Amino acid sequence: MAESSFKISVPDAKIDELRQKLRLTRLPDELEDAGWDYGAPLADIRRLVDKWQNGYDWRVHEAQINSELPQFTRDIDVTGHGTLNIHYVHQKSAVPDAIPLLFVHGWPGNFLEVRKILPLLVESSPDHPSFHVVALGLPGYGFSEAPKTKGFKLDQYAEVGQKLMLALGYNEYVTQGGDLGFQINRRIARNYGGKHNKAWHTNFPIAQHPSLLSSPLAYLRALLTPYTAFEKAGLERTNWFETTGRGYYAEHSTKPQTLGYSLADSPVGLLAWIYEKLVAWTDAYAWDDDEVLTWISSYYFSRAGPAASLRIYYEVAKGDKRFPPPSEAPTIPAGFSYFPKEVIVAPRTWKKLLANVVIESEHERGGHFAAHEVPELLVGDVRKMFGKGGPAFGVVPGRTGYA
Amino acid sequence: MSVESPFIISIPQESLSLLQQKLRLASFPDELDDAGWDYGAPLTDIRRLVARWSNGYDWRYHEAQLNTELPQFTRDIDVGGHGALNVHYVHKKSDAEYAIPLLFVHGWPGSFFEARKLLPLLTRGSPDHPSFHVVAISLPGFGFSEAPRKKGFNLDQYAEVCNKLMLSLGYNEYVTQGGDWGFIITRRMAHLYGPKYVKAWHTNFPGGTPPSLLGQPLSFLTMLFHFLFPSFNPQMQAGFDKTQKFMQSGSGYNAIQSTKPQTLGYSMADSPVGLLAWIYEKLVVCADGYAWDDDEVLTWISIYWFSRAGPTAAARIYYEVGGGNTQKLGELMGTPEYTASIPHGISRFPGEVAILPKSWAKSNRKVVFDREHERGGHFAAYERPVEVCGDLREMFGRGGPAFGVVKGRDGYNS
Repeated sequence: MAESSFKISVPDAKIDELRQKLRLTRLPDELEDAGWDYGAPLADIRRLVDKWQNGYDWRVHEAQINSELPQFTRDIDVTGHGTLNIHYVHQKSAVPDAIPLLFVHGWPGNFLEVRKILPLLVESSPDHPSFHVVALGLPGYGFSEAPKTKGFKLDQYAEVGQKLMLALGYNEYVTQGGDLGFQINRRIARNYGGKHNKAWHTNFPIAQHPSLLSSPLAYLRALLTPYTAFEKAGLERTNWFETTGRGYYAEHSTKPQTLGYSLADSPVGLLAWIYEKLVAWTDAYAWDDDEVLTWISSYYFSRAGPAASLRIYYEVAKGDKRFPPPSEAPTIPAGFSYFPKEVIVAPRTWKKLLANVVIESEHERGGHFAAHEVPELLVGDVRKMFGKGGPAFGVVPGRTGYA
Repeated sequence: MSVESPFIISIPQESLSLLQQKLRLASFPDELDDAGWDYGAPLTDIRRLVARWSNGYDWRYHEAQLNTELPQFTRDIDVGGHGALNVHYVHKKSDAEYAIPLLFVHGWPGSFFEARKLLPLLTRGSPDHPSFHVVAISLPGFGFSEAPRKKGFNLDQYAEVCNKLMLSLGYNEYVTQGGDWGFIITRRMAHLYGPKYVKAWHTNFPGGTPPSLLGQPLSFLTMLFHFLFPSFNPQMQAGFDKTQKFMQSGSGYNAIQSTKPQTLGYSMADSPVGLLAWIYEKLVVCADGYAWDDDEVLTWISIYWFSRAGPTAAARIYYEVGGGNTQKLGELMGTPEYTASIPHGISRFPGEVAILPKSWAKSNRKVVFDREHERGGHFAAYERPVEVCGDLREMFGRGGPAFGVVKGRDGYNS
């Protein structure tokens, strides 16, 4: 299985098509004083569309990404689904015994989410461990091919991650992820944990209240332990998200193709669909317009098109459990990071059953896109978990992360 | 006193031209092998429809047909707290002298267009059956009505517009027919304006409220029995299964429209392909094997695309009435705390998306007519106009349970 080095190079025709579509943009009206209540505000979207058409230069950002992120593609065979050409970022640390780490993104993210944490993770220092980092482009995202067949579920995404690491010579590795990356990494931990996957870290440990019947002790503990202020705020935010913020999920998981026509055909539609999440799910992150447009453009110019990225919701909703029972919890060491503006924040007592949690950190700032918003906090947690004195130090034999 | 203006649909040439330019630039997603309808509207259908829309479909021809068939008007209607809205409606009088005034209220993704086939049937006078003066309103934000400008245009406001329209036309007493949002709005009207103005109401989207032990003990016990022994009533079980299937796999549009209609709205306003797919999926899935003609679909969608307020405004009704969150909307199918005491008629069609036990409609309504049909779905007035009209004639005709509800207008000539 041969690796090819890869540089993003969007064809001129595609950039031109985007420009032509933007020129024909037809915007809706908006209710007076709508604010963010009904969705992304018109003033924001209008401003971003204007910038996208006039002033934003994709080629500049494309070149920047190519210079920052060493990218590759290789064919990966997925049982029952044929071969998919997978795009990924791979950067080795200068430390030969650095810990191999697989970073798995979610939606509406992609490989670009590794951008800020990459230099921090690979950095060598006597004071903290370093990592060889692989950022997987999930099938259907970024510049990875999309599955062509139905039923590409968590096991299949996990298989891609596992096979990629093995193909790179990382027989034993750890993972980090949030959003769908949490679910995929949990599956990797369950399917390949012990032998290959040695530990996993997540910033999106979603959980539901333990069930009385299946986990009576945990149920009682959850019932009797008072919520901290962080947890109370978290439950409120979770309720806000579940009642007002999961409409996208309902459509993705039932009719991704229907929605997909809009996202494929309308740049402003795609922009709004994603931008709303970039703002609502973050902790007052000061998005730069070009930063937003680069993020959205990576979806617009993606190899499989934006519609393909939605299908994972359908497949997983149909074929995988959102909250697997404790009996299906992976046994390898897990690290959990809690950010206050994450969209689902469960109390700690609920999360204990999810995994073999060896370290938890609670933060005062940061949201759903932790790797992008607060890279130093996220990396700090990962370093603490795997560093000297940490609960997962030396979990990958022979690769402590130190020189 | 509001002033009526006759209305002719006349979409500016530049709007047609913009649509054509966009269609020419249309980008399509890929599709999974053997996807069928599982993931949404199939790619072959959408490609075919877009190709036709771009080349062959003649909006001007259909626009002229609509203008010929449907006498249309606009007038300003003042809505408390929201100012005056210019409302578009179809108004066709029957040739029968004492025809019954009937207000037809559409839903989403419907429009005044849904009354098209009912109109000639309902307005035709005959000694053998009652006939009606028909008013088909374009709800604010739909068709060629203005959209509300302010937040909070809720159920009471939609009901107010509808009632005021009928009164402004001199119909001090009238009956209503509606499905989808039309059901929810006319139910509210029955409560607020019945029996003073609204004398009876008919629906093809019955919904229902589970009986309560205290309120309807016999129905409650029957319900309990059927839950415990579902095999005794396979029809009821099949209804529940169908309803559950729709709620689980067909209500994504509802979830997004009731929480982030603006976010979705950018796509709907900007992409004719996106709008087409969004609505077409419902036209096929929610109808009962109706053989849609491509031009028929394109006219239906074009009305949304060329609508006065744009397609985004229409979806806001979900947000406003649903309270901005997904939980409340489920309750609307059932009911609210209020009852409707005026005579109620129901036409049941097997392809409807939500099918609840028949007795549940009686929980807080005065059901005087309840007819089941063998064919037809969610868009009953459009799919099965003969049946819907037949039911209305029977309900309101001589010997019918709602005969003569409107004083001095029994539907006949003498």
